Formats: sequence, C-alpha cells, structure tokens
Amino acid sequence: MWQLTPGQSLVARQWDEDLVVYNALSGATHRLGLGAAVLLGVLEDGPASEATLAVALQTEFSLDDGEVDAELPAMLDRLSRLELIQPCSCSTA
Amino acid sequence: MLLLDSLTRAELRRRLRRGELVLRTGPFATRIRSDIAAVADGMACIYGAHSVEPPDSFADFQVNLLRSTGWRRWFRPQVRFDHDGDAPFTPLPLAQAFPMLEWVMNWCVSNHAHSYLIVHAAVVEKQGCAVILPAPPGSGKSTLCAALAMRGWRLLSDELALVRCSDGLLIPLVRPVSLKNASIDVMRAFAPESRFSTPVGGTIKGIVGHLRPMEDSVARAHEPARAAWVVFPRFEAGAATSLAPVSKTDTFMRLIDNAFNYPTLGQQGFEVLAGLVDGCEGADFVYSRLDEAIAVFDGLAEGTS
Amino acid sequence: MKRALLVEVLRDPGQVSGFAPAQWELLLRQARSAGLHGALPFVLDDAGIEAPAAPRAHLDWMRVVARRHSDSMRNEVRLIAGALGGTAPLLLLKGAAYLMAGLPTARGRLFGDVDILAPKESLPAVERALVLQGWAATHHDAYDQRYYREWMHELPPLEHMHRGTAIDVHHAILPETAALRPDPARLRACAAPIAWPGAMAGERPLHVLAPPDMVLHSAVHLFWDGEFDHGLRDLFDLHRLLAEFGTRPGFWDGLPARARELTLELPLFYALRYAARLLGTPVPAGVTAQLAAAAPNRARLALMDALFLRALLPMHASCADVFDKPARFALYVRGNWLRMPPLLLARHLFHKAFLSPRPPPATDDV
Repeated sequence: MWQLTPGQSLVARQWDEDLVVYNALSGATHRLGLGAAVLLGVLEDGPASEATLAVALQTEFSLDDGEVDAELPAMLDRLSRLELIQPCSCSTA
Repeated sequence: MLLLDSLTRAELRRRLRRGELVLRTGPFATRIRSDIAAVADGMACIYGAHSVEPPDSFADFQVNLLRSTGWRRWFRPQVRFDHDGDAPFTPLPLAQAFPMLEWVMNWCVSNHAHSYLIVHAAVVEKQGCAVILPAPPGSGKSTLCAALAMRGWRLLSDELALVRCSDGLLIPLVRPVSLKNASIDVMRAFAPESRFSTPVGGTIKGIVGHLRPMEDSVARAHEPARAAWVVFPRFEAGAATSLAPVSKTDTFMRLIDNAFNYPTLGQQGFEVLAGLVDGCEGADFVYSRLDEAIAVFDGLAEGTS
Repeated sequence: MKRALLVEVLRDPGQVSGFAPAQWELLLRQARSAGLHGALPFVLDDAGIEAPAAPRAHLDWMRVVARRHSDSMRNEVRLIAGALGGTAPLLLLKGAAYLMAGLPTARGRLFGDVDILAPKESLPAVERALVLQGWAATHHDAYDQRYYREWMHELPPLEHMHRGTAIDVHHAILPETAALRPDPARLRACAAPIAWPGAMAGERPLHVLAPPDMVLHSAVHLFWDGEFDHGLRDLFDLHRLLAEFGTRPGFWDGLPARARELTLELPLFYALRYAARLLGTPVPAGVTAQLAAAAPNRARLALMDALFLRALLPMHASCADVFDKPARFALYVRGNWLRMPPLLLARHLFHKAFLSPRPPPATDDV
C-alpha cells in the first residue's frame, strides 16, 4: 500500500508533456512525467495498493499489463526517493 | 533630484570618505563609503546620470570599500569590502576596487531583496517587448546585452533580472554592463560613442571594464516591463545565427538554475516563476555576429508589438 | 552618539513612531547584526505598527527569510524523527522546541541547528541511526571529537550530507566538568508532549522541556556560553518565554524552587536581572527576593553588570565602545572556565591556537 507523505502539500503546473511540482514540505521542486502525475492524483484521494495504481495507469495511458508491470516499481521507487510518497501499512476504508 | 554629475569631484570624494554618498539604482539606495580614489573615479565615469540622495536618507545597503590597513598599505595594497561590518569576501588588489563595488552591489541585492525573484540574467526592452537573457559566465550574454543597449534597446539590467513577486513585472536596476577582455575592444569598435570605466586587469575574469548605461535607460529606471521572451544566448565564433524554441517546461527548469533566491522564496518563488513562463516564449540563441544578432532581436520586438 | 536602537525598540516598539529615515536604517542594521532580523517584523506587527515604505520593504524581505527558515526547520525535525525511528519521545531543545511547540518566541526566530536531548547511554545508537540516514561528523580532528564527547555534553555536531543542516545531540545541558550539575534525568522526567503541527503525522512523539526548564535552559545557554554573537537574541528569547509562561498559574511560584533543584539559581538570577534591566521584562518582586541569596557579592556583581550589559548589545559599530572588545573576551574566557576545570581550560585553548589542523585555503568566488 502507498500513500502521499503525510503533511505534504503540492503545487503543480503543466505546459506540455511534463509537470513541474513544488513540494511545500521539503521545499524541493521536481519535474515529473504525466505517469507520475496520475499516481499522485490517485493517492491524493487516499492510500492505494499497487494494483489500484497499475489499473489507473493502464486506463489513462491505454497500456497493457506487461508495460505497466515493467515501469510501475521504478516509478514508485523514484517518487519515494523524492519523498513524495511512502509505503503505508494501512488499508483503505 | 540631484544627479551624481552635479557633484564636484572633491564633494564626491568627501561624501564617499564619510559614508554619506547614497546612490539610487532602480528600487534601491546604497550608502557607499570609500577612501579609494579609483572608486570615486569609476563612479563619476559610470554613474553621472544616476541620482544621489541626501546623506541622512534611508539607505537599503551599506557598502564599505576601504584600503586594507597595516603592512598592506605599502606592499601590494588591497581593498577590503564589508557590508556593514560583515566581511564575506577576501580582500582584492587595490586596482580592482571599482569592479569590486559592482560585484558587491550585486551581492547585496541578490542576498536580501526577497520581494523579487532574482535571476542571474540581463534584461533589455524595446517597443514593449522585454527579453530576459539568462546565461552562465562565458556565454557572451554581456557583450550581446551591451550591443543591444547601444542599438536602441532599453537596458533594465546586465546581471540581475528582478521579477516583482506581487505582479510579475520586471523592475529595472540600471547599472553598467560588465565586459571582459576582448569584448571591451569589440564594443568600442561596434559603438565608438560608448563610455567605459578604466579597464582593470588581473581579476579572476581577466580584464574587466564597465560600460556606462545610456541616459535614456537611466531616465526610465522607474518604468517596469512585462517579459515576453526568455532567450538563452551562446556566442560561438563563426556560427550561423540561430534561434531555436525551448519548451516552457525546459525554460522553467533552466530559469531555476539561474535564480539566486528561488529556494528562499519557497512556494511563492514557484508561482512567480510559473507566471513568468506562462507569459513568455523560450529560445536558445546562437550567434557570432553582433549585427545579425541585433536584427533577430529587433524582429522579436516587431513581432510582439 | 552610540545608541542601541534595537534594544529600545524591543523594549518598547512604539519608539519607532518618532524615527527619522536614518534611524530606521540603523535599526535594521542592528537587527541583522544581532540575528534578530527575522523577529523584528513580528515585534512591530504585534504592536500594531506599520513602518514607512522604504523600511517596510526590508521587513517584508525578512518575513520571507523567516518563513522559509521555519518551513525548512519543521521539515528537518520531521526527517530527524524519521531517521531515529523507534517510539521513544524525541526531546527537542531551544529553537526547534519553540518552533514545534508553536510558542510566540518562535516567530521569526532564526537558528542554525536542531538541538535534542537524549539519555547518555543512547548516544551511540542515536549517532548510528543519523549517520545511516545521511548525517556526517563535522569535527574530524581527534582532539575536537574528544572535546565534545568527553568534556562537553554532546556529540560533535552532525551535518546532513545533502541538505547541509546540522543537529546537535546533547545528553545534558551543561558539561559534566562544570561546577553546576543540573540533572538531565530530572529534565527528561518533566518533559511535556506536543502535537505534530498540521497534518504532519509522526509516529514518534515529540517532547519539549517543561516551561520552567525551558527558561532555565535558556538562561544557562546564554550566561554560561562564551559566545555572545547572539546574546541579545537569546535574552530576547528569555523575555518572550517569560511573557508567555508568566501568565500561567503557578509558573513564577515554582521557578525559584526548580532552579534550586537543578543547581541553576545563579544563571536564573543573571537572566532575570539582565532581561529586566535591558528589556524591561516584568519580574515579580517575590521571585527576585528568593534569588537574592544566590547573588554574587557586590564587587563581583558590579563587574558582571559592566561585562554583560555591554556584551548583550548588538555586535554593531553603532553600539560598540572602547570597552567592548575586552568585555567580550573576558566573557569568552569566563564561559570556557565555567565549563571546565582550570587545567583543562588552558590546555584546550593552547591546543586550539597551535595544534588544530589548518583550515583549507579560502576560495575566491567573487
């Protein structure tokens, strides 16, 4: 299960195929792809499992299972290293 | 309004010795104290058209440029700088006192003036089209900026682009353009009417000279401008002049790299910069011939107006 | 004329209404010099004072710096709590404590390091946990390492490799070599929990010292350290802490007794004396009377007055007089002497001057 880092607030702008994001908690600015934006968007509504996140990506980008499985762990790892998301031991209500 | 030109040299030196010389440059007033002749000479040459405020007025920054004392007075004399008692730089040879004044005035602004997003860039404007020229050292930004300033473009700044946080407008900080080495000769040839401070050798950048801003730019220092272009210049000997688009996202990220106080401004910095990028086109610009470069910029001004 | 405008304004913000532009300029310069430039905008806001346009711009600039600072320090505390893991409370001291507890004294208070208090036996584990998460030792000289670990009351300061932020891990508030022995176990026993601000959920509970202990720690920190660069800032902390806690029932009644319990009556005596003298801090007569017994003799007190009242002013040319430098040096020596027995002091100072590794040559990046 994954969640947005607690206490976080993000401001984002998009002009073309990328997103720029300001993380008010860490004071850092990041450039993210739209895939990351979709993941953050899902997590904004509450913690979600990897399966849920995979489905969201598949839906938004018309991907097949293989493509998502190959990319998703790396995306989650990167967002986690940027302290935008973190694993949580919670369950959705 | 008292202009620096109207002070006799003796009066200028007297005020400088006593810390009573308060120079207005754009939105800032700087109180300068110095016992060094080269500082007075440089100021008389470069800042003649700028206004000087009464000694007891409010100054934003206090800059002291004094001869080092002790044995240094006689052997390779030095100038030491302190900003009101704080001494962030090591002393330099006395001959570099006027360039040092310019560098420390930049330092004062970029370290304190947090009602602006401050970008390391030149800003020029013509016919309502303002162009921001960010560039790391060695990109030829200042030479290009000087050339534009001598061909009808208003100079807002050579080193520091001030983007006012409250409304995103560019605020002029009209100060001289600093040029190095061969660029000084190039500019003298390109615009014989240009006036320079005495070039100073032996600095870490080589020979440094400052170009006096045109009277029109100084007179319009209170007039803000709206940015229309962010152009990243690069001088490349013998290259064809080219202007290639840069995406807004790339422009945004590259401006962060050139912004002094982006981290300090936090979320507001992000929003001001995003607003700026919203309203601008971005481009990479390569040039080797100044006249061709000016033509391209004149074209941008025509296109916008 | 030398005038500590800053002290006058901290004491009575309304003074600024008569200021000429040159005085505003001097006030801002003194505030920067004293490290109080973050706090000054809040002091004036609280007094309902709006500055004229030119100085107002500076106050706005200072507000931006203060905001950035507090945001980044809150994040730092969050990351430290995360790095240390476990469930034992994280006990914050000084600036970080005031900030996370939301105390008025935190407003605009700029500070360099996060300070925490941990039991002595836990220090090796704390150090390991921090190093694992990117903090690194700064004082590599073996002598400095020993100075901190054996003689002082803290780990050598650790600095984070990427963020550049620093943390000081203390096991006591005075070194074991000092004559006064405030027992850290007593401090920890009375520590109080505070909530994580906003939505910042932390698994690890945050603690701060109990109000009288915060005041006493601030007094010790101010009067037992050798360095007075931020003397006025620290005195102003005391002033604001006392203003905040003074209204709480039982605070003043309990303060002298707690000071006695922690062997800190003399620092408290000085703290209250100079806060009242310089900043007009209201101190109940009963409290002053109870501490009178701890006061030094008249001759010594006169000397201390002369030294401290100068040393606590902003370190700015406009406030200095010819006695200033010797006063500060005398207090530096005193500060170190109070922390170490005489023999150790001499050796330490000797070693510092002659045997410490030379710093790397300064690079000229003008």
